[in-house]
Amino acid sequence: MYRSQKLALRYFIAAITLFGVMIAAGLLSALYYIDPALLYNVFDFQMAKILHIDTLIIWLLMGFIGAVYWFLPKELGREVVGIWVAELLFYVFCSAVAVVAVVFVVVQYGGSNEFSMWFINQGRKYVEAPRWAAVGVVAVVLTFVFNVTATAWQARRITGVLGVLILDLVPLAVLYLDAFPKITNMSHDLYWWWWLVHMWVEATWEVLIGCLMAWSLMELMGTSRRIVETWLYIEVMLVLGTGILGLGHHYFWIGTPQYWLSIGGFFSALEPLPLLGMVVHAVYDAGTHHMKTTNRPAFYWVLAEAFGNFIGAGVFGFMMTLPQINLYSHGTQWTVSHGHFAFWGAYACGVIAIMYLVLQRTRSAEHFDSRAWKWGFGLLNLGLVGMVGGLLIAGITQAIYERAEGGSTLQAFVAASEHPWFRSAMYARFIFGIVFALGYFALVYDLLAIGRRAAVAAPTQAAPA
Amino acid sequence: MTSAALFATSAALGLLVLLGGAYGVLYALGAARSSPSLTGAGYACYAGQLLLVLVVCLGSPLASLWKLFMAVSGVVYGFIPPATWRLLDSIHHNQLQ
Repeated sequence: MYRSQKLALRYFIAAITLFGVMIAAGLLSALYYIDPALLYNVFDFQMAKILHIDTLIIWLLMGFIGAVYWFLPKELGREVVGIWVAELLFYVFCSAVAVVAVVFVVVQYGGSNEFSMWFINQGRKYVEAPRWAAVGVVAVVLTFVFNVTATAWQARRITGVLGVLILDLVPLAVLYLDAFPKITNMSHDLYWWWWLVHMWVEATWEVLIGCLMAWSLMELMGTSRRIVETWLYIEVMLVLGTGILGLGHHYFWIGTPQYWLSIGGFFSALEPLPLLGMVVHAVYDAGTHHMKTTNRPAFYWVLAEAFGNFIGAGVFGFMMTLPQINLYSHGTQWTVSHGHFAFWGAYACGVIAIMYLVLQRTRSAEHFDSRAWKWGFGLLNLGLVGMVGGLLIAGITQAIYERAEGGSTLQAFVAASEHPWFRSAMYARFIFGIVFALGYFALVYDLLAIGRRAAVAAPTQAAPA
Repeated sequence: MTSAALFATSAALGLLVLLGGAYGVLYALGAARSSPSLTGAGYACYAGQLLLVLVVCLGSPLASLWKLFMAVSGVVYGFIPPATWRLLDSIHHNQLQ
């Protein structure tokens, strides 16, 4: 095994650990909706929410980085250039995440001054990490970009998937710099902040997971490089063509010019079209191989990725993306419902699929199957569908009673939050959150146990020189 | 927009994409298994989708341009599964030759 592949395993361990922290913080966040006075002035809602959404970003990012470190040496047939820096920065990354988490839990917030921004909380949603940690994230991402490009350069080889990946890493790294400016005008600040959040999640990450899925399909099903690369080019063209200007669908209630609402509505309404193509592709691949695979968990998680992405981003997104609907749904639990489903389908399922794929190789198991993965798969997906169902009902209640009928007043907000539909939906969300958490434990158990018995029986893979 | 219209329009839009997805899946399954009944079920979903487009165009309070957009995208949905399937098939066969 290459050193970068060993590093990939460490990234996966860190990712799955943070996935657990994300779930714990999510469950706590859900509890505040049932009991708003919970931990009042001790550990308020906003801190639990920060932990929930920041760990979401970090665990997925670690999963992506790990996956690239796994596939890269296989793709180029050589060790990653500068791997020792990447190894060092992995520990720096993990330590920084731990320190930031401790500061969020213990210190929580500070005054409106430079010290707070640098050492406590930067104050921008999703990128709240204090500035010193944000500088660290830039260092990690730049090292990662260097590792990938320098390895391709040294190998004097570039493949279609790798070329797309390298082109994608440039905006991915540059966009994060958007977390740094100190803009005092709130409209301007949110305008640029959405560039970071939207372009990561609905553009650069989509391309990144497309590259990772291309490599995964080649390994999992033996799909030919020509097929995955041709499909990747089409997918990237369509995703970027619809996703970039879809940015405008976030520009509600923040003071941006009105034309953005139509632009955003138009391009984001096109976003389900490439997703439909991906669903057809998934069925094609599954049909070509007659649902036969040596790694059933990875195969089913890949299918869950295609379908989850279509339903979460496509169906749930289209329900609320046209401006006349978005005016009412924006910023309600309806958006939260869409966000949960889309993140899960587009990214989380893909990362879990890659973890199973990697484990099959490290444990040298010819056939990868177990009972526990089915429990993990079933409980996680059931929990997720239940949660987004609850959030959808809560969000529609808000859109109707707070916005359409109540006129978006503070009193209407409170009335909608106390509406029986909203409260029942929040109970349902919490209960299904527990189901999701049980699924997480089944997943972790399975990741630790699956294929171990086979590994003892099978000869270990020879390490490359 | 009234709250009833908001709910009905949004539900119709979600269902519209869901039917598009069901059309894609059933069409692809039908093609993979050479099953005319599955392909037929796919086309039935697409017919349902077109019907829903009609309902949205005639009965929702969306602006005219968005209704035009819905009508055009309803037609485009019809082409995506067969076009994608043919493309994948041709790449696959070229690869095998």
